[in-house]
Amino acid sequence: MRPDTWPMFLDPAIWRFFGEGLWQTVTLSVASVAVSFVVGLIFALGRLSSRRWIRWPATAYVEALRAVPVLLLIVYFGIKGSSLFRPIFGPEFELPRFWAGVLGLSLYTSAVLAEIIFVVLPQALRLMVPAMMGQLTTVIKDTSLVGTIGVFDLLRQGRTIYTQFFNPVEVLLIVAAIYFVICFVLSQVSRRLELDRVPREARIRMTELELRDQAA
Amino acid sequence: MPGGIAFEFPDLFFGGLWVTVQLSVLGLAGALVVGTAIALLRVSPVAPLRFLGSAYVEFFRNTPLVVQLFFLFLGLPLLGLRFATDTFDNIFRAALVGMSLYHGAYVAEVVRGGLLGIDRGQIEAARSLGLSYLQTLREVQLPQAFRAVIPPLGNIAIALVKNTALASTIGVTDLLFGAEIVESRTFRAEEAFLTATLLYLALTIPLGAIVNVLERKLLVVR
Repeated sequence: MRPDTWPMFLDPAIWRFFGEGLWQTVTLSVASVAVSFVVGLIFALGRLSSRRWIRWPATAYVEALRAVPVLLLIVYFGIKGSSLFRPIFGPEFELPRFWAGVLGLSLYTSAVLAEIIFVVLPQALRLMVPAMMGQLTTVIKDTSLVGTIGVFDLLRQGRTIYTQFFNPVEVLLIVAAIYFVICFVLSQVSRRLELDRVPREARIRMTELELRDQAA
Repeated sequence: MPGGIAFEFPDLFFGGLWVTVQLSVLGLAGALVVGTAIALLRVSPVAPLRFLGSAYVEFFRNTPLVVQLFFLFLGLPLLGLRFATDTFDNIFRAALVGMSLYHGAYVAEVVRGGLLGIDRGQIEAARSLGLSYLQTLREVQLPQAFRAVIPPLGNIAIALVKNTALASTIGVTDLLFGAEIVESRTFRAEEAFLTATLLYLALTIPLGAIVNVLERKLLVVR
């Protein structure tokens, strides 16, 4: 290490060069994780399936790809990626290097994520169900907003009726009653599935969500 | 410049924002009053009162706010009930009452949780020292419950600010209403709605930050 090899790093051009590389690193990581998560979730669900013809291929995918070096996958798609997609996108298609990298990384990472999700998903789902049921009632209530952009939902139909018959009191009471029955039943069901096995931290967080995002 | 359109139509954007702020602040005050009253019904020793409290909460939580707003604004005048003779005042007050009644149901659940979270031993001790039911409530239960419920109430306040946008559907000239008018005049939809979004964020993000700080400071360890 000679002393005169360090001052070059004062040149901003060097750092711009590093920066370009770093940008590739970041976008590659984000794209790979996003793709891997979706694919991993699908294969985790496949592994949890009660149907053998779904479960076995999913298990095979996960076990096989976890056992392969990721560099092998990357190199493979770097060389053969373009010709793999030519039957779909035409003979001129060139797979960009970036996406070849994403493919290789994702194929491996999705298998690992599938395994992680496979292990914790059954418990996670059990914990999620009550809060998700709560959100379902919120969605049902929120659908009443699409009338403003001209979708003829329950409330909007009611508005058509009362502008014809001039009886908004009766109509709105009936509309409210219909929403009430649906949402009340759902909220009672979600209460049955109570959160007693949910850790305290998660319970606090979910109550917060319920208030901030579901009070709509 | 993003948001610059706000300065081309200051009445619609900043005037609208001011209506949104008024509706939020007054609506929250109303919701606290309604919610506390309903919570007291829900923890009362009298069974019919408790039922009344639960019925209120379940009804208002399980029907859409827009339906309630339409009822208050269209239905009540036909029943001979108006909040004001002036049409614009009537609309604003109907929206205000709607915000208070709807969010009151959520406040009630939070306050009830706060009241029930207090150790029964304290209540029994207060009663055996000769304090009446109401004195126990006022001197022992409510002050402690208040502390525990501040952070969750902050979350309700955030929801309320966002929900005030629904008042535009009955014609309250709030921020969303202003943005819609600007859009229909200029066809600059992205600018108009992005600007409205930024102004809503200017309300909810600081509110969220305050709630997070309070959450840490007031955490009641049980």
